[in-house]
Amino acid sequence: MSEKTSWDWETELKEIPFNEWKTHFNWVQAPQVSQNGESIAAVVNLDEMVFSVCVNGQVWEEEYEKIWSLTSVSDSGFAAFVARDEEWTLSVNGQEWTHWCDFIWQMMKSLDGQFLGAAFQTDSEYGVIVNDTPWEDRYENLTGAVMAADGTSAAVVQVVPMPGADVEAFKKGVFSVACNGVPEDRRFLNIWDISFDTAGRQMGYGVRTDRESYGIVQNDTLWKNRFESVWKPEFLDENSLLAPVRINGKWQLYKNDAPFWQNKYDQLWHLTLSPDGKDVAAIVSAPYGRWRVAVNDTVWHVAWDTMISDIYFSQDGSSLAAVYKHKDVWDLAVNQTPWQMAADMVFVPCLSQDGSVVAVVIQKKGQYQLVVNKKTMASGFSFMADPVISADGSKVLLKGIENGIYKRRIIRV
Amino acid sequence: MKTKENPMTDTPSSVEKPTDPAIESGLERLTPDRIQQVIQDVLKKETGPRFKAYVETCMHCGLCAEACPYFLSNDRDPQFMPAAKVKNTIWEMLKKNGNVSKDFLRRAVRISHLECNVCKRCSMYCPFGIDIAYMMLLVRRICHKLEITPQYIQDTVNSHSVTLNQMWVKDDEWIDTLQWQEEDARDEFEDLEIPLDKMGADIMYSVIAPEPKFQAGLIYQAATMMHAAGINWTMPSTPGWDNSNMAMYTGDNEISGRIARAFFETAAKLRVKRIVMGECGHAFRSVYDMGNRWNSWVMPPFEVVHALAFYHELLTEGRITIKEKYKKKVTLHDPCNVSRGRGLHDKAREVVNMVCEDFVDMVPNREHNYCCGAGGGVINCGPPYKGERMVNNRVKAEQLAATGAEVLIAPCHNCHSGLEDIVHHYDLKMEIKFLGDLIYETMDKKIYTPGA
Repeated sequence: MSEKTSWDWETELKEIPFNEWKTHFNWVQAPQVSQNGESIAAVVNLDEMVFSVCVNGQVWEEEYEKIWSLTSVSDSGFAAFVARDEEWTLSVNGQEWTHWCDFIWQMMKSLDGQFLGAAFQTDSEYGVIVNDTPWEDRYENLTGAVMAADGTSAAVVQVVPMPGADVEAFKKGVFSVACNGVPEDRRFLNIWDISFDTAGRQMGYGVRTDRESYGIVQNDTLWKNRFESVWKPEFLDENSLLAPVRINGKWQLYKNDAPFWQNKYDQLWHLTLSPDGKDVAAIVSAPYGRWRVAVNDTVWHVAWDTMISDIYFSQDGSSLAAVYKHKDVWDLAVNQTPWQMAADMVFVPCLSQDGSVVAVVIQKKGQYQLVVNKKTMASGFSFMADPVISADGSKVLLKGIENGIYKRRIIRV
Repeated sequence: MKTKENPMTDTPSSVEKPTDPAIESGLERLTPDRIQQVIQDVLKKETGPRFKAYVETCMHCGLCAEACPYFLSNDRDPQFMPAAKVKNTIWEMLKKNGNVSKDFLRRAVRISHLECNVCKRCSMYCPFGIDIAYMMLLVRRICHKLEITPQYIQDTVNSHSVTLNQMWVKDDEWIDTLQWQEEDARDEFEDLEIPLDKMGADIMYSVIAPEPKFQAGLIYQAATMMHAAGINWTMPSTPGWDNSNMAMYTGDNEISGRIARAFFETAAKLRVKRIVMGECGHAFRSVYDMGNRWNSWVMPPFEVVHALAFYHELLTEGRITIKEKYKKKVTLHDPCNVSRGRGLHDKAREVVNMVCEDFVDMVPNREHNYCCGAGGGVINCGPPYKGERMVNNRVKAEQLAATGAEVLIAPCHNCHSGLEDIVHHYDLKMEIKFLGDLIYETMDKKIYTPGA
């Protein structure tokens, strides 16, 4: 999305008759919208076991037995997993990768759209493929694949064979982390939640070292402390790894194997760092069953009874938005202020770079609405993709379907 | 009831007691200090007023005995009284301050994992409502920390910890199975879709791992119902799709919490409104009671609708209509976790009566129903224990036989599997079906049109 300054922010409305596609194909699956809103795409059925992708009314040249995971990539493109003669690959804008496999899943994309990756399986051996280059080493099991911004990939892999129901073999540790296909030496009972630093050079992850001991691995080194449990670690910078850890039934934030936050919580997860690295936020439960946002170990004064699903910083770190559920309805709060939308669902909010504008799609009674800074800007849509705010914060890009017509609309804030 | 050749006359002593390698190797590694330390730690750090109240309130009246299918199935052998199970496990650990022998622990593992289904029937018969299942789960927690959990259920938990599903189903196998069922179901509706990862769908449908592993047809049936009913639904392609949780039953609370977190966060990521789950009982207990609470969710963060309630909704709203009612005489087994645990028994009967012509209740029924003998993790302890599980379920066999039904509806996976074993072992000549099987068989295969 780094190029969004080059997008068309002037044309107030562009329309594509989406529902009309249903008259051209046997059926049309759920739509996907490109990041810049210029294109809408869907998997379409042409005949029995014959599928393709329709983008703005134009169908990809190639036809497939199956297509799934259609996703927007880069500013205006789409990628999908496609199958022909029972073999799978990834197709980007209709161009197939050269490598085909027995199955492919978990599409991963870098923010700048330069790298596309996925997990794959061929002849019951598992690996990761990035930009059409598969790992050389394959494994009998693979979970939790991740990809860094520079295309470095990693996953949890099984490096020692284990007969069925062999709990003794499991106790010895048969799993390791493979980075770009190369396994690390150390093995564990479990490995979860691999994190990269921003440069893609450092790795951190959670492990279980025996039946009841959990730890954190930071750049191939296991922290000395053991915990009752751990959640996903995040790099504060290349030398500092943060991780929520459980001690005596309470959760605390550790940094480099030492307490970082002093408070202990009944839950602490979803570590989120401001882009400038100055602030650390997390979703916490304090007291038990009450959900709050904590920023630098200080909790928001507002608390909710059901759930906070995710939190987002603005680029400058000045604003923090939380999607939450309270008393059976969903809402958004920005800098501790609830918007009181009483929605059936709140999607992923978009924050302007300076944090002054927040736009979000919500659902109420089956219809989609766009809300900007608490004000409903559009409603009555049958579908909306997440909005985008222009670089200068003056306009919001709405991408939605109204009365069967896809609309790309620019709304001035 | 019958002659020696008849399984009704089997007794616990006539059934071979297997040696479990995981229990034995675990016991071998233990030292007296380790045993005492673990027990003291659990009792001191992980119990509170609830446990104290239970221990101090029990009057040893024995009224719980009549509630227990194990006691009734074993000719009222006192060792199977719930109070005796507590006395022979956690009370003794408490009394001796954790200084118990390996032989004691060997027996404690068996009592807590194989001679109690944690079905909570006994709590209803206790004058004080003491939750004996909670105390048996506390014993299992101690066994987990001592690493003496039976082999097969421990392997299931190992699978949960690695894959977040209970049967080592790999990520690609899961998705491939859904696509296979989708393809097959297009024989019924050519545009049928099992939508994967559809953001903003009304419903996330979740199942337990035995479905993709062994019973993929159930996914086919569910997809057919969803499609016919015009539901805006989805299934996740990512881990978090399996709502089962055997870690909850081995006392591995940390893995149990991890499973429940993945489940609800998958729903949150997909921005669905509610979750519908297939016909499984223990999974409901995990996401409605235990796994959620370990994570500090007092109540489930998403509305979780068990299949029984969902079928009721589809039929009463007219989204699915029954073309012709099922003719054979049927009876209904009430699974503990959705009947005693959630009160869905009356809705279940309404659904059965909407679908079937000839329904006969078993006695006792609803929240008083006898346990299937398989739930609570007992069947998951594996084939070595099947023989004694059959002996311990004689009362269930007698209850089923008395109905004279040709078909037994068991709307829970563990119940279903356990009852299959009982029906076969006691030669009851009953077919066992999920409620979804019958709805699928009898429904009008047409697309719901609002207002039509």
